[in-house]
Amino acid sequence: MLEIKDLKAEIEGKKILNGINLVVKPGEVHAIMGPNGAGKSTLSAVLAGRADYAVTGGEVSFNGKDLLEMSPEDRAREGVFLAFQYPVEIPGVSTTNFLKTAINEKRKYLGLEPMEATAFLKFMREKMELMEMDKALTSRSLNEGFSGGEKKRNEVFQMAMLEPKLTIMDETDSGLDIDALRLVSAGVNKLKDGERSFVVITHYQRLLDYIVPDFVHVLYKGRIVKSGDASLAKELEAKGYDWIKAEVEQEANA
Amino acid sequence: MLLETIKKDFIQYKAQAEPGEFLTLREAAFAEFEKLGFPTTKHEEWKYTNLKSITDNTFQSTCEIKSLVNELFNASIESKLTANFLVFVNGSLVNELSKIIEKDNSIVISSLATSRKNNQAIFNQHFGKYAKVEGQAMNALNTALLSDGAFVFVPKGKTVVHPVVIFNISDASDLNVLAQPRNLIVVEEQSTLTIVETYYATGTNASFTNVVTETYAGKSAHVEHYKIQQQAGACYQNNFTQFFQEADTNINHVTLTLDGTLVRNNLHFYMNGENCNSLLYGLYVTDNKDLVDNHTRVDHAKPNCFSDEKYKGILKGHSTAVFNGKIMVHLDAQKTNAYQRNQNILLSDDATVNTKPQLEIFADDVKCTHGATVGELDEESMFYLRSRGIPEDVARKLLLTAYAVDIAEKIKIPELVELLEQKIDGKL
Ligand SMILES: Nc1ncnc2c1ncn2[C@@H]1O[C@H](COP(=O)(O)OP(=O)(O)OP(=O)(O)O)[C@@H](O)[C@H]1O
Ligand SMILES: [Mg+2]
Repeated sequence: MLEIKDLKAEIEGKKILNGINLVVKPGEVHAIMGPNGAGKSTLSAVLAGRADYAVTGGEVSFNGKDLLEMSPEDRAREGVFLAFQYPVEIPGVSTTNFLKTAINEKRKYLGLEPMEATAFLKFMREKMELMEMDKALTSRSLNEGFSGGEKKRNEVFQMAMLEPKLTIMDETDSGLDIDALRLVSAGVNKLKDGERSFVVITHYQRLLDYIVPDFVHVLYKGRIVKSGDASLAKELEAKGYDWIKAEVEQEANA
Repeated sequence: MLLETIKKDFIQYKAQAEPGEFLTLREAAFAEFEKLGFPTTKHEEWKYTNLKSITDNTFQSTCEIKSLVNELFNASIESKLTANFLVFVNGSLVNELSKIIEKDNSIVISSLATSRKNNQAIFNQHFGKYAKVEGQAMNALNTALLSDGAFVFVPKGKTVVHPVVIFNISDASDLNVLAQPRNLIVVEEQSTLTIVETYYATGTNASFTNVVTETYAGKSAHVEHYKIQQQAGACYQNNFTQFFQEADTNINHVTLTLDGTLVRNNLHFYMNGENCNSLLYGLYVTDNKDLVDNHTRVDHAKPNCFSDEKYKGILKGHSTAVFNGKIMVHLDAQKTNAYQRNQNILLSDDATVNTKPQLEIFADDVKCTHGATVGELDEESMFYLRSRGIPEDVARKLLLTAYAVDIAEKIKIPELVELLEQKIDGKL
């Protein structure tokens, strides 16, 4: 599904990703952890196609296509979805209108007819129920005045609507209360079908209790410095990052 | 040269005018105009707006009315409203298209010319009392050579149920035309009125509209005033709107400038009593080499008044926008709250914005804020929309529409807003 080879990226001359290697196969859940400033959001932004970052090396292929060549909208329409760490507020654009546009643009791209208005509304209502989204939220402008948790929930609601092949969640669990965390996890688990894949960036083990990862990676200074199974996350929770940092320093000195 | 035509016009007018107060007023105005001449870019207030393309040209006043005007009217979005209509072509009233549906006979909706005969007392009490002529060349010119215009009188405690649409058409199909509409709106104590002032043009020649609107709002009156400018073609307009507010009045004003080669709007509010609310909203969408200049002035002359001003622009092509927002807080206008924002989105490297807030505060206990921005569409928002599969051009349009509709929605006639939104959408 997703194959990242030696990916390097920088911003304003500052090197942030220093050779990322990662393979995500269909149906897999990967967790990425790592200290603040390691480059986790940068990786997700580069994958989604944010123009601020300059890719200075490496390759990314998504279902056999060169992802880095594609515009952000084409990546999305090919099935990549990024749940933002900080979703933006867009006054004046209603959530409904936004989602209808997004879904129909995707359908157009795939050569499908636009969704009928009634079918769309029915579909949206289903997903709203799934995410326990209040009607008042979707009738408002996109994310405008939403609480931190509501914004995160709205990201997962959008994911549920767009049914992506690959979802990258950037700290979607941060700022969620326990109930919202369960809802977000349910949203993800509902979408799991053995084909769809997830890259979950998080600082906390608790999300991974609900969304059990097949692999856990530690990103540090723009590199994946350690990978393991779900138990690695538990170890990190208990021990912190110092031992990994020490390992990295040791290797560098050796 | 326009000046020569104007002088001839005035001599001609004087020759057939009845002597009296009105003539004296207009003679004085003409003398003031002759003294001042047309404003040039040497005047601070006209620094960015050059009238040379108007003053070097010739324009003629004409009262001939063609049938194609009916089509234009019927095709307009305003004509779909359930409203009172006063339709003017090149400044003259068109009776066939004008229609008053208001039932209450004490409410007067007529042409200015008619009102001067039928409502003499009110006319004399208010006409020329608010829009200053001294030092204002264009007002002086309008006063001296006004064509006709709307007269609305709402007596004490009345609500005008349906909006009054002042529908202006410049018909330049045969020659360059000059129209100088003059509107007088008197809303007495505790009365409510909605005005839609709208401008269209037809014909391949040029047109110049120099309009003055005076509105008097008596104590506790509420006035909704919407100005919609969409004169396509070689159209020049200088628009002066003066509100005079007594205590406890509410005025909500929206200017939408969607077309026009050169549009200069002068919007003035004078708060003559306490607890006034003045809302000033504007949207301009400019293209080609067009210039839209909004000069606003709010006079907080009494304490405890509130004004909120927000003007937004979208600029394309080689167009220019000028915004100058003056807020005068007079010496005894304590507890004034005044807010002002001007935002501009440039969609072209060749477009220019000149924006300037001008706060003159003589009282000490006031809250005033202002801010101006000139920029492009928000990158973060663009990326967010695109990351959901919305192509760049569609995303841009979504954001621009949202930005513009924010102002259009200040108009409290939903049918009109909806139609205007479609119109704005088409411009983007
Ligand atoms: N626009 C920018 N200009 C300069 N430096 C930047 C910019 N954006 C990110 N960085 C830097 O890149 C590094 C990686 O940032 P990134 O946001 O990817 O970290 P992160 O791993 O997501 O951290 P966190 O866990 O705090 O979310 C940081 O040192 C950050 O300061
Ligand atoms: Mg981050």
